Order: sequence, then structure tokens, then C-alpha cells
Amino acid sequence: MSKVTRRKFLRDAGIGAGALVWGCYIGPKGLFAREHLPEIIHTGVPLGKNNYFVAIVPIEGTIVITTHRAEMGQGIRSSLAAVLADELEADWSRVRLRQANADSDKYAIEFPYEVKEELPFPYNMVHRSKPPQYLIPVEGSQFTDSSRSMTAYFKPMRLFGAGVRAAFEQAAARVFNVDPSQCHASQHKVHAGGQSIDYGDPRLLFHAGKLPPAKYEDIEAALKDPKDWVFITAAKKPMPFADVSDMVTGKPIYGADQDLPGMLTAMIERCPVANGRITSFDPAPALAVPGVRKVMRVLPANVPPGGVGQRFLPHDGIAVIAENTWAALQGRRALRPTIVCDYPDDLARENAKYDSQVFRQTLKDSTAAKGMLVRKTKADLSDADFADSANVVEAEYYVPHLAQAPMEPPVAIALYRNETMEAWAPTQNPELAQQDIGRVLYGLTWDHDLDEEEIQQIRKTVTLHMPLLGGGFGRKSKPDYILEAAFLAKQNPGVPIRVQWTREDDIKFSYYNAASSQYLKAAVDGKKTTALLQRSAFTSFFGTLFPESRAKERAALFNGGIYPYGSAIERAQGLEDMPFDVPKLLIENCPAKNYIRVGWMRSVANIYHAFASGSFADELAEKKGADPKDHLLDLIGNGRIIPLPEEAVPEFNNNGLPVKIINLPVAGGKILPMVPGYPPDTRHLLAVVKKVAEVSDWNNKVKQYKGTRRGLGIAAHRSFLSYVATVIDVSLSEANELTINDVYTVVDCGLAVNPDRVKAQMEGAVVYGLSLALLGEITVKNGAVEQNNFDDYPVLRIHQTPRNISVTIMEVDKETPPTGIGEVGVPTVAPALANAIVAAGGPRIREIPFYKKVVVL
Amino acid sequence: MSIFQLHVNGRLHTVDIDGNMPLLWALRDILGLKGTKFGCGVAQCGACTVHLDGRAVRSCSVDVGVACLSKITTIEGLSPDGSHPCQKAWVELGVPQCGFCQPGQIMSAAALLTATNGANPTDEQIDNAMRGNICRCGTYPRIREAIHKAAGGAKS
Repeated sequence: MSKVTRRKFLRDAGIGAGALVWGCYIGPKGLFAREHLPEIIHTGVPLGKNNYFVAIVPIEGTIVITTHRAEMGQGIRSSLAAVLADELEADWSRVRLRQANADSDKYAIEFPYEVKEELPFPYNMVHRSKPPQYLIPVEGSQFTDSSRSMTAYFKPMRLFGAGVRAAFEQAAARVFNVDPSQCHASQHKVHAGGQSIDYGDPRLLFHAGKLPPAKYEDIEAALKDPKDWVFITAAKKPMPFADVSDMVTGKPIYGADQDLPGMLTAMIERCPVANGRITSFDPAPALAVPGVRKVMRVLPANVPPGGVGQRFLPHDGIAVIAENTWAALQGRRALRPTIVCDYPDDLARENAKYDSQVFRQTLKDSTAAKGMLVRKTKADLSDADFADSANVVEAEYYVPHLAQAPMEPPVAIALYRNETMEAWAPTQNPELAQQDIGRVLYGLTWDHDLDEEEIQQIRKTVTLHMPLLGGGFGRKSKPDYILEAAFLAKQNPGVPIRVQWTREDDIKFSYYNAASSQYLKAAVDGKKTTALLQRSAFTSFFGTLFPESRAKERAALFNGGIYPYGSAIERAQGLEDMPFDVPKLLIENCPAKNYIRVGWMRSVANIYHAFASGSFADELAEKKGADPKDHLLDLIGNGRIIPLPEEAVPEFNNNGLPVKIINLPVAGGKILPMVPGYPPDTRHLLAVVKKVAEVSDWNNKVKQYKGTRRGLGIAAHRSFLSYVATVIDVSLSEANELTINDVYTVVDCGLAVNPDRVKAQMEGAVVYGLSLALLGEITVKNGAVEQNNFDDYPVLRIHQTPRNISVTIMEVDKETPPTGIGEVGVPTVAPALANAIVAAGGPRIREIPFYKKVVVL
Repeated sequence: MSIFQLHVNGRLHTVDIDGNMPLLWALRDILGLKGTKFGCGVAQCGACTVHLDGRAVRSCSVDVGVACLSKITTIEGLSPDGSHPCQKAWVELGVPQCGFCQPGQIMSAAALLTATNGANPTDEQIDNAMRGNICRCGTYPRIREAIHKAAGGAKS
């Protein structure tokens, strides 16, 4: 056939503006050239913005599903595509995945949702069972963070699939000249009576293109009944895992694997201190290394070095640019002794004195004084409540800075040519990276707010490709390493520059999880806890991200507290929603400053908040002589939606869901102000605690282990809208050598769309949690991180991993929407382990890492 | 710079490079075999594991000048079509999460099965053979299960 342009095809197919367009590409090799399927035009299901998520190759019938989130081990590429394919009734063997570039215009779905002012009684019984009627979470970007992908995109992907299927059914009705009600799609075909037509059939696509735009309500009505699901919940077939075969043969492209003609590799020697400057260096020794091409500064003169208050700017650094990685490494070694750093301002000078061991005392001192009010019961707590010292329990817990250490160290490639920038960057935050690269491209500094025109210009001229991430854990939400590549590319037009970090770079230049000190104090009366005070001090990441001059931005994010107090996000992670039902409760946030870059790590503030609350519950049980599991259930109480608005929490940052308060009519004609959506509901927490007690055989084992050096520990926590309870079974030798025998963990994550990946995430979270609890510690001396690599920042290895990690997923109604999974398994691990060590006759451990108190082999 | 002959995955490659260059970088940067991964550079994480004459070694810590004396096998050459028992077991059990460390894990596991002549290794043998391979996603329980499965045995 003759060469057909796409424009011509569209015209010939009669597809015009406003019509439902089945985007297809006619490449230079003709209609069937599947290897030429680039940016696919796909308008279609009219959901706020256009549908760029599904397209079909005519005749061949391959369904191309665009995956727009960062894949870093969650399996989200396959899971979201399979949700769409399920609703579309696509044959998975004829589905191809296409990874999106960064593009908010296409992939940030503005999704229609509605928050009804007043919900019918009993709202508290249905709040999670039918939320699509009044709440669909909005995720306006590709930012893959906060365990939100499935929560935000389950419904949209279903709608895209169902919308296309419904259109195919209507189109088939026209092809067959029958009533649409007689048409039924299944397995890549539409059937009507005895006839059937394949999804790739041009007649079907022609008529589909002529259909008027579908209404939202009609598409929603076309959603499958859950009993007809195939992949969703692995109802009839296992969820596909598209990348697995490539992953075991070394084929996938991760950040460092992209090869470009003429590409050079850069290694960067950086100033170890936040906000510090490199004042001089000698390029000669590095340039003498064979293969080294250039030695140059990374940052232009008008860009301040990264550090506290400088968002995602890299530390000041000198790049050695070479023909290959080995040459770059050797050149960098030669450069290192010639580097001189200086601390030009008060901030940098203060940072250069930072000593994390000294700061630990500063944090502790901070919690000794009254802090900012976070939450309180109506009944005031006072010193008088703790007057009877014999019945008071108090404890302090400490969690040091932690580094995410994803398996692939940060790496990025950038190419500057013809006034455009192209990047290949494994990032969790593609749009932010794109915008920041745009600032580099146009020489805009970070104190300048981008206007809409600038943003649009950047979207046109900066292309960001998203390879697979070799792990992320929050580290790759920060684009500093991508900016290094962009700064260097800008100085080397036409040459692709790959910035490769070493593991030492990754350990020394992370955005560390906050160091935290927690002080808890409770009054006990028999079996009851009558009063509870919690003071939380942690180094907030927004102190790192925004300088004091950005007061307005800070205020918006802090929601009542301003740095050096914690942000709304951090407070909402286990502090404001601390689950224990105590008659008198007072929770405060105490100030703490940043002296290194602070960011977030898998489950973030939940790590230190759950460690404190989960350990303290156990200490209270010990004091009362109660069984820790029964006591935990007692402490959580009867189960309730935590009445945050009534307890001085006017706005709760519920993992980004709408926080507008509604007035809920409850029994007795009363009105309860409530945060809609997925409020912290301790009934779910009670349920997972009961379940984990059952699957771990808690009651029997506690009796069996009594008086031995074996014991069980338990902890429960809500994070990212999901509920988790964990029991850990440990043994201690006489020399306090720790063996972790079993871990039982139970999760209520709403609908488990991909049960195998949910299980995998929970298994992995247990390992991640054990890593940080047993071994995790970053220390800083004179402003520089002391650890280097996996030898002095150890992480869990296979011989330290319990032989049995049992994961139980709570069964829920099929209408229950999915909640977070990627991070939710981490927070309970440290407290459950600490509690188990006590039960096995070991010491009470109130600080991470545990290897300082028990022997970890 | 010197001329070396590297025998990789049954093919002979002649390269003119610094003999002190670690095999990892020769594989990745010079031969374009990207399946072998860089994770730490100091033989701590195992992401760069390859076989030298069938034994698992960390390619970040073996110089080209030494590696050229052995037959080198990388993940790309472990089997022609992903059919090594470990690869099959890894797929069946859905071992990978991010997948980055898995080439190294599989190369270590394959060497273990060679050492046991295909017999089902004990959990202790697995611990010893695999403790040099870090997985930050925490796929260890499934790795253990997959090794048992690849050896045709139930969990020991």
C-alpha cells in the first residue's frame, strides 16, 4: 500500500474534533508497523482531560496501554494496565505496555469528584464501602509517592477500560446493524448473536470514531460487576507481571542502562557539608587520567549550592567527565585531594558544626519543654494527672537519620541540543524533574516562581523519559541528581552526559529521613490508662526544602506549624491520628532544626511515631501486668472514627485526600464534624490486631513461651489509609544473640487489586523495617555523613531474614476502594520487634538501631 | 591500555583497555552488556555477580587482567532464552520487585545449584551462597523458595 500519513488516515476515517478517536499510527512501513508506534493520539473517554492511556493498532488489534507511574518494584505498571485491560475485556497476550514520559498535560487526570456536605446516617458504617458516590481521590500528577497509585488510579483505569469497551459494543451494533443491547464484548471481540468482530477490525474502529462523546454517567454505568472481574483481585486469572521475564534475563533498561551515541560519564566530587561551597580545585591530576575529557563545576555561579532550604538543588560539586565509568572514577580519585570547601554564610557554618550525636541530646531537650499543640481531648491534661509517680510510666524513643539506599544508586542522563533538553531519568517525580530541568535550560533560578507560560514552554522543550527505577523508597522523589546531569549537559551542548553516583555518594548525599526523639508519659489506674502525653520532635523535611524567605509556601504546607515545627504531612503520620483512646490526651510537636538535607524514606514519619506509640503500649502492658495483645486492644478502645476536628485537629492531611470537614448527623440527633473519605477508623485497626493474633496463634504461643528465651511482640498502625498489625516471634540466646523466627503481618488495604503484589510489598516492607530497626543509622560529624557503603551502613541480608514472613490480607467488600500498600508494612516492624525482644527476656530497646543492644549475627 | 581477550557468554571479545579496569565496567561500558549491575563497587552487594568458570564472583572487584584468564558468563549468557531453572522459578514465583538486583541474585543462585550438582540446597547453604547479594526490596523469602523450586525440591 502507499504511504499513508496519520493525518490522512484520520481524515479518511472521518474522525474529527470532539469525536471519539481511536488513535492509531500509520508509520512509514504501513498500517501494520507496530515497531513504529510512538506518541499515541488518543482522545476518547471524556474524563476531564483526554484519554492518553489506551490505544489500539488497527487490524493487528494490539491494545497499547500507557503506564504513567514510576515503576520501582510495586508492580504498578502491570497492575494499572491489567485493571484497564480487565474492564476493556482485552486479551492480555495482545496488550502491550508503553511507558509514558513526564507529561502532566496528558497524565494528570483531573477527576470529577464530589464531597457531599452531609452524608446519610450511619455514615460511619459506610464510609469505606461506597465512597465513589462522594469521594474519589485526586492525584494530579505522575508523582509516585505516598503509596497512592492504586488508590488514585484504580477507578480511572477502570473507567478508561469500560469506556472503550462500551464504545466498541456500540460500534459493533452499527457494524452488525443490531441493537447495542445485543452486543457483548469479551476477550478482544464484540459478539452479537452468532457474529463477532475483533477489536482490531477497521470497521469497528471506523464506527467507534463516529460515536459522540460518551457521558461520564454512561461510562460509569458500563463498569463491570465485580463478579465479572478477571484480573482485578486475581478473581479468575493471576494478575499479569509484564516485566518479570525481562527482569530475570537482564533485559530491562534501568537508569544507568540507556546507551546513547557519544555519551560521556560524569562522576562528581561534592562538598560534604550542606550549603557549603567548593572554593578551589585543581583539574590537572584528573585530566592526566586516560579517558578523562573535562573537569568542571556543576553549578553555574548564580545557583546556590544545595543543602538546607535549597529544595532539590545538588550539593556543590566538581564533575569529572570521561569516556567511561572507570576513567571517571579514577579521575575523581585524582581530583579529590585538590578540593577545598568553605562555608560562606552562617547557615553553612552552622551546618559544618553539625554532630548528630550531640544533636540527639538537643532533640531530647526539645521534648522536655511544652511544644506546639497537635491534638488534645476536651478534658484537659495537667501535671496533676501524673501526681502519683508510682502509677506513671514514661519513656523516650530515638530514631536516627536513615538513608533509603535504593539498589540502583542515583543516575541520570541529559542531552542539551537545539535549545531543548532531553533526559533519561529514573525518578518518582517526573513533572518536578521536568520543571527543574527547564529552569536549568532557561537559566531560571529557584527563587523565581514559574508562571503558566513558562511551564508550558518547559513542557514543550524538556523531554523526560522514565526508565525503570532500581528501587526508590522516596530517595528518587528528589531530582538533585537529575539536575546535576542537566547542569552539565547545558555546559556541553550536543553531548549526552550520564551522571553516575557511587554507593558512597548515595549514602553521603541522601535526603535523610528525619532524626526524631519521642517522649511519652502515661498515668495508669489499675488496668486503665487515664492520661497520655506525647511529645514528638523531628527534623522536618520542609525545613530542608524551603528557605525562610519562602514563608508563604512553608505556611501552606505546615498547616498551623511553621518550621522548625513539623509539617501537616508529618504530623498526620501517626501523631495526630495516634490511635489510643484515652480519657485525657495531649499530643505536642516540639521544634527541631535541619543541618543536613532531610527528605523522606518509605513510610516517613510513621517510622518514628509508630516505634514510639507501639513500644509505649507494650511498656504500659508490662506495667499493668497485662497480655500485650489484649492490652493493645483495650488501649485502642471500642473502635471509632478518631474525632480529630473535636480534638483540636481542624485539618487532617489524610494522605492528600480532601480534608474539608463535613457535618455528620449521628445518633441522638447530634452533629459530628468529620473528615470525609477514609478517616482514621480504629475499628479497622482492632480488626487487624485480632486477625494477627489469630494467624500467629498468639494466645497459645504466649503460654508456651512463658519463662523461655522466646517471645512474641505485637504492634499496629494506620498509614497511607491502610491498617496493619504485626506479630514477631524471636529467640534470644544467653549471649543475647537474636533470631527472628517468624513474622506475621496483617493488612487491610481496602480492595487488594493485585493480591500477589500486595503480598510482595508486605514481605518487602517487613525486610525493610527489620533493616532499619536492627541496623539503620546515619551519623554526621562536622556536617559530613560518616557512613560510606553497605559495609558501614548495613542492610538486611538473606541469612538475617526470618524463614517465615506470613502475610494476611483482610477480606473486604468488592466495592471497597484500594488504599496504600507500598509503605504501610514498614512502621509496625520496629515496635513489634522491640516488644518481642522484651518478651523473650531481652532488654527494652528504645532506640534504633537495635544491634547496639542485642547481638545481630 | 593493553589488548585483552575476554571470553564472554561463549564469544571472544578483543578489547584495548586499562588492565586494572574492573570487569563490571568492561562488561557494561565497553561490551554493552547492561544486565550486570553496579550497586556498591566494593563487593558488598552482589548486584554485579557473574560467573568466572562457573563460580560466582563480584565483577566490580575482579580486574579485566584477571578475568581474561577465565570463561565469563553474565546474566545474558546464563541461558539462551531465560530457561535456566532459576530463571523459570523466579518467574513462576514472581520473585522480582524492582528487579535491579535479580541478575546478581540469579547468578549466585545458579552457581549454588552447580555446586550442589542440582541437589536441593539446605537453607544454610542458601544463606551462605546468597548472603553476599543484597535486595533492598526484600525479596529474600521468595529467592529462598525459588532456589528450592529450581532445584526441583520442596522447601528443606
